[in-house]
Amino acid sequence: MSTYVARRLLGVVLVVLATSVLIFAIVHILPGNVAYAILGEYATPAAVATLQQRLGLNDPLWLQYWRWLAGFLHGQMGQSLVMDRPAGPLILDALGRSAILAGSAFVIVASGGIALGVHAATHQGHVSDRVMTLAQFVFIAVPDFFWAILAVVVFASWLHWLPATGYAPPADGLLAWVSHLVLPVIVLSIGLLAHVSRLTRAAMLEVLRSRYVLMARAKGMSERRVLWRHAAPNAMLPTITILAIDFGLLIGGVVVVETVFAYPGLGRLLVFAIEHRDLPLLQAGMLVLTTIYALANLAADLGYAALNPRIRYRAAA
Amino acid sequence: MTLTRRTILGATLALPAIRTARAAPEVLRMGIGTSLAKLDPLLTTIGDEYIYDNLVFNGLTRMAADLSTQPDLAESWTYSDDLKHWTFKLRHGVKFHDGQEMISADVVALFKRLLDPATAAPSRSNYDMISGVTAPDPYTVAFDLGSPYGGLADILSDRQVKIVPRNAVAQLATRPIGTGPFKFVSYTPGDRLILTRNADYFEPGMPKLQGVELRIIPEMSVKIAALEAGDLDVVWDLPLEQVKQLNAQANLRVDSVATASWDAAIMNNLIPPFNDPKVRLAFQMAVSKADVVELTLFGQGAPTISPIPPTHPFYAGQLVIPPADPAAARKLLAQAGHPNGITIPIIVPVGRPVRERLGVTLQQLAKPGGFDLQVQRVPFSSFDAEVSGKAPLYIDGYFARPTIDTSTYPFLHSGGSWNEKLWHYNDPKVDKALEAARLSGDVAVQKTQYIAMQTALNANPAGFFAYVVNFACAYRKSVGGITTHPMRWFDLRTATVT
Repeated sequence: MSTYVARRLLGVVLVVLATSVLIFAIVHILPGNVAYAILGEYATPAAVATLQQRLGLNDPLWLQYWRWLAGFLHGQMGQSLVMDRPAGPLILDALGRSAILAGSAFVIVASGGIALGVHAATHQGHVSDRVMTLAQFVFIAVPDFFWAILAVVVFASWLHWLPATGYAPPADGLLAWVSHLVLPVIVLSIGLLAHVSRLTRAAMLEVLRSRYVLMARAKGMSERRVLWRHAAPNAMLPTITILAIDFGLLIGGVVVVETVFAYPGLGRLLVFAIEHRDLPLLQAGMLVLTTIYALANLAADLGYAALNPRIRYRAAA
Repeated sequence: MTLTRRTILGATLALPAIRTARAAPEVLRMGIGTSLAKLDPLLTTIGDEYIYDNLVFNGLTRMAADLSTQPDLAESWTYSDDLKHWTFKLRHGVKFHDGQEMISADVVALFKRLLDPATAAPSRSNYDMISGVTAPDPYTVAFDLGSPYGGLADILSDRQVKIVPRNAVAQLATRPIGTGPFKFVSYTPGDRLILTRNADYFEPGMPKLQGVELRIIPEMSVKIAALEAGDLDVVWDLPLEQVKQLNAQANLRVDSVATASWDAAIMNNLIPPFNDPKVRLAFQMAVSKADVVELTLFGQGAPTISPIPPTHPFYAGQLVIPPADPAAARKLLAQAGHPNGITIPIIVPVGRPVRERLGVTLQQLAKPGGFDLQVQRVPFSSFDAEVSGKAPLYIDGYFARPTIDTSTYPFLHSGGSWNEKLWHYNDPKVDKALEAARLSGDVAVQKTQYIAMQTALNANPAGFFAYVVNFACAYRKSVGGITTHPMRWFDLRTATVT
């Protein structure tokens, strides 16, 4: 098991490195550069040339990449070229706020998705199952940004229940902090919640039809015990895989939701970095995201192994 | 099973009235669109940043909402007869936000930094006539110019040339210090910039507000929802299609003011087909500018001949902008060797919705006149590197500049710094008029010359100056004491919110 974990961790490092090369290359393929972005409508050819020189953009690409990597290995996240300040604190600050958003959404998606899925599977064909199925299709089919705008219009503009935008620091009071989180978290969770519950329902139905469940029932085990001791752990295997994949979707959703709700998280910061071709900021931010995503996948694989002995033994052998 | 649809719904419905009270009374909350990239005013380049520049800092002079130049940190100024030596007298006892007194050495340090190429200050080329800046005494600043320039006091009111402490330049990017009515408190990119009242501001009794918050909200529909819900007091730069609709709401007020910001179809004068002046003139005949204003701006703007807006005294009002004449346009095109008309792509910037709409409007309106335009969309962020000064036909525009000279000379003089990025235009009559206007301090002479320039430009168009566009802001009616400024920034010294 420990060699398995070590091998997977090495994989994470390689994935992160490969991503950093990829981002570096993509930003250089895009037309324009940070000098144009900084100068904006004042980008005369002479001004662009001076600024490129000063920012070291005329050096060979490998040298620029090496400079960034060397700095990073020395523990420096680099300096945002556009904002003239260290990227590290900017990213950590934003990451904390995104983590609250994504973390809350993930808890809702994981717990709510499994609970709703099991409920639907055990009440197959009931009104609650049918209503849920319809709702799931709607929430999967219609994209986040639509729900985001709709939520703002209904709950902020029309009903005046919740603030339309932004973020309140916890210092403003718990109520203010929570009230600013409600709409973004709901919008972020709703599509994935539908997705996960739909999948759990299907997996659960399949397991409930299996022979060992029939066997468990036949020997007089209580339905509750059959459900949670025998059926659910096996039905969870595909759900865990999906949760790991959905974690990536969640990160993508964070960018959209943060933009619509003007929530100052990592997604917004990355959009800013891309728009301004602020490579050090983008690199550092993407590195953090890639690491998180790779670790989430690792966690899913380990969870899978914990639930399924066959995987555990094969990996150890 | 603890979490069902019913409990989720129930929890949602139980939330009514969890609404955050406003941060503090008398703090004005304004919705802007983009995160500020720079906090050093000398390096700022976008409208969102200019708002901040004018709240935290002062220049030597100030431009009022009627576009007249007023004293700011300079109490008065004089200039030599040849317009090459200017002397500014500073106010006494003005304090920076850290308590130091602002003196002439700070002003000299700012202009030295501006003119140093290593600073890469975006607006440096606007000030390249300055050959020397000195401080004869702590309250006097003397400018020596390499060539006569009548508008120096006017361009010193511009957005970037704000006076900062000479020994605090290093901290401007993160903890900026100025002399302005509001002091910097904090900035979270993507969230908000918080400013508080400067109790030691040099004009007694100002500012009235306790503070200002610039909230960064990219999505316009969300900004408007926040304004309607009372989470914002002001929405900056309202889309023009919203003006009439929001003005009809009982608790809101919309101000739409004329500006000198313009959009145009830029034609490359070096390459076919627009290297032929007849083709450019034919395009001007083919399209009615009044129709363009209705279709592109929903009426919130005005047709123009050059960057000089119809509201300005130097505008050539005697030149009537005619309705479209497609037959005459096709005839002229035939004379220029295009009997079957011209088929050509027109590039529009994705991310600048008004300019995108202008491209589509021109595609529709120019068709009867023999121009078959194919709209191509290119991201605005790629425009500078890919399109500007290169493509034969594209849509672009520029925000108002502080003086008529800076709005016209760089764009239309054959040696102008922007001309080479746009149309590569060359007309001796236009050159002569622009040069004569800048060499005179006499308003009557300037007016004559600028009208001559517009007349020559109208007869030999550089491209298609479509319109000058209005600038609109929406306010809750609880906000008072603000005049919407045509330069798109705010003077909040007298603003109040209840």
